[in-house]
Amino acid sequence: MAGRFRPVGLVVASTALLLTTACGGASLGTGEEKQGGPVKIGLLVPRSGTYKALGDDMKQGFELYVAQRGGKLGGREVEIVVADEGETADSGKAAAEKLVKQDRVLAVSGVVSSATINGVKDLFETGKVPLVGSNASPTTLTGTTYIWRTSYVNDEPGKALGKHVAEKAGGPVFLIAAGYQAGKDEVEGFKSTFLPAGGKQAGEEVYTPFPGTKNFQPYLAQIEKSGAKAVFCFYAGGAAVDFVKQYRDFGLAGKIPLYAPGFLTEGGVLKGQGDAANGILTALNYSADLNNSANKQFAPAYTAAHGAAPTTYAMASWDAAQVLDKAIGAAGSAGAAVTSESVNAAIARVGEIDSPRGTWRFNAGGTPVQPWYLREVKQGVNTVSSELGRLGG
Amino acid sequence: MSGWLDGNFVSVIDGVAFGLLLFTIAVGLSLVFGMMDVLNLAHGTLYLAGAYVAYALSDGTLTGLLLALLAGALVGTLGGAALTFLTQPLAHRGHLDQAVLTLGITFIVADLLAAAFGGDVLPTDPPTALRGTVGLLGHAYPVYRLVFIAVAAGLALLVYLVFERSSLGALVRATVADRDMVRALGVDVRKVLYGVFASGAALAAVGGVLGAPILGPGPGVDETVLVLSLVVVVVGGLGSVRGALAGALLIGQVQTLGVALLPEYAPFLLFGTMLLVLVLRPHGLVASAVRA
Repeated sequence: MAGRFRPVGLVVASTALLLTTACGGASLGTGEEKQGGPVKIGLLVPRSGTYKALGDDMKQGFELYVAQRGGKLGGREVEIVVADEGETADSGKAAAEKLVKQDRVLAVSGVVSSATINGVKDLFETGKVPLVGSNASPTTLTGTTYIWRTSYVNDEPGKALGKHVAEKAGGPVFLIAAGYQAGKDEVEGFKSTFLPAGGKQAGEEVYTPFPGTKNFQPYLAQIEKSGAKAVFCFYAGGAAVDFVKQYRDFGLAGKIPLYAPGFLTEGGVLKGQGDAANGILTALNYSADLNNSANKQFAPAYTAAHGAAPTTYAMASWDAAQVLDKAIGAAGSAGAAVTSESVNAAIARVGEIDSPRGTWRFNAGGTPVQPWYLREVKQGVNTVSSELGRLGG
Repeated sequence: MSGWLDGNFVSVIDGVAFGLLLFTIAVGLSLVFGMMDVLNLAHGTLYLAGAYVAYALSDGTLTGLLLALLAGALVGTLGGAALTFLTQPLAHRGHLDQAVLTLGITFIVADLLAAAFGGDVLPTDPPTALRGTVGLLGHAYPVYRLVFIAVAAGLALLVYLVFERSSLGALVRATVADRDMVRALGVDVRKVLYGVFASGAALAAVGGVLGAPILGPGPGVDETVLVLSLVVVVVGGLGSVRGALAGALLIGQVQTLGVALLPEYAPFLLFGTMLLVLVLRPHGLVASAVRA
């Protein structure tokens, strides 16, 4: 401890403190952008922990787009600053603050978890820095000006499936999902279109304890007892592998059709499921085998670079880069200075996006109006079987 | 009644499989804690290491499974010996210090395993000969789980005979009861302690090898297994093989039959059962004769 009181040090320290706290309300964007100079974009994705595989997909999708544009977005050289979102809202928030306050990025993309995006809402809204998220999108995230998502709202995969299952099931349908917010969102989304279309539930929906449930046998026994003609489930990650394998091991596969939001069979989990996944029907906004010009640019290049078909997570991140590409280009046209605020305004005017999923545009809530597809797993690959219609409008 | 049994028959059988898996894992924890008074929170990590061994060596053949069992037993034995060595200096410093040390070890090993095998859950298939399903009273049941029940029951019997019916087991129990007397008889007490720890750890790792197709390796599985083992130990009663078996079979049924009957209470069944047992029998179902 210093014995002597040093007023100069105190003044400097308190001034610095005041300055940093004052930043909370002021625009943090890069206001002093050099005309035509390079821009910094933050990529907030998990580089460690449970969601690392998802984070890898997102990073690869985003970087592929930038590489395909010669390392530029909107005609500007891009420096991508990656920050580790980690597993929790706290680690995600800390990484986001670093990108916005320390690195002073022009815009941010990424974000896997709903907890993180809820936690950083104020940071982006008050800091006036656009976040073009490419995955997390809870139903509760509304009324934002600076937060966009190129993915979908959490209840939409369920919504997309409801009517179709009601028409095809030929009897009561059993609903089962992981017991956390995303699972509840999906089930509610499913019921919102399934019940009005005349669908009947086989008993009450069941939420399995998350993440503790590893043995699904008791639930599978319940499904058999209920006399259900089809099952709608929501699982992702490790639970998706366990559920699908046990669905086969206990003899339900092939007897009772299994419907789910696309994550059940998306990416790494499909490899883990092996032939147990064959015949599963899922709804998603993308499938790697879609036949359109944007997907021809995207899917083969991605597969060549990473040795695996692209997932919806990679595709949404490729699109996030595309949105930023168009917005930065528009904001910097006619030699105007590119700032976080001018880019955000340009995102709002970005219009139709020609995407590997088909064309889409942002709605008033900052999420896509886009087509949804029914996919079936055939020989260990997701293949499109029909379009389920557009959602988000 | 027959209708009730028909609808829940598979759950009961699966509860036996799950219970025997829990016994294989938890018996080591119970003996180490009950007999040596060491709280080892790295116990779930031993299971996880065994499960990763099974994943790494599984090639669809029975030979692969046997190799994995040997390798798992070796990994477990070495892990147990290392844990004994590390916890020895803390023997008289109470459970908190042991808990902190062994928990630290779990974090380090979990990160090392994640670095080696990645962050995904790695589904481990049983040998080809044991895949597929068989009919049990008209219900499909995985062949591997039936085989597992047979193997795990054999293991449980072996453990019981060694600890409760052999002179070696008598020596272990005597060591716990009166260490100085055993030492006076010319027995190297440290060897006994190492032996108990290493064999308990080997059982947990072998449980990991056998359990990999049922409860596969992945981040967080070590915690899941640790919590289940602690519940089994508390419910069954410390330091007794019979207690561990009773606790494991009860928790197995709670987690299968209980969940099948009361799915809406699934999150509370495990700890609800533990609470009930502790209220009715504070020392567990089978109070150990060794520790007063």
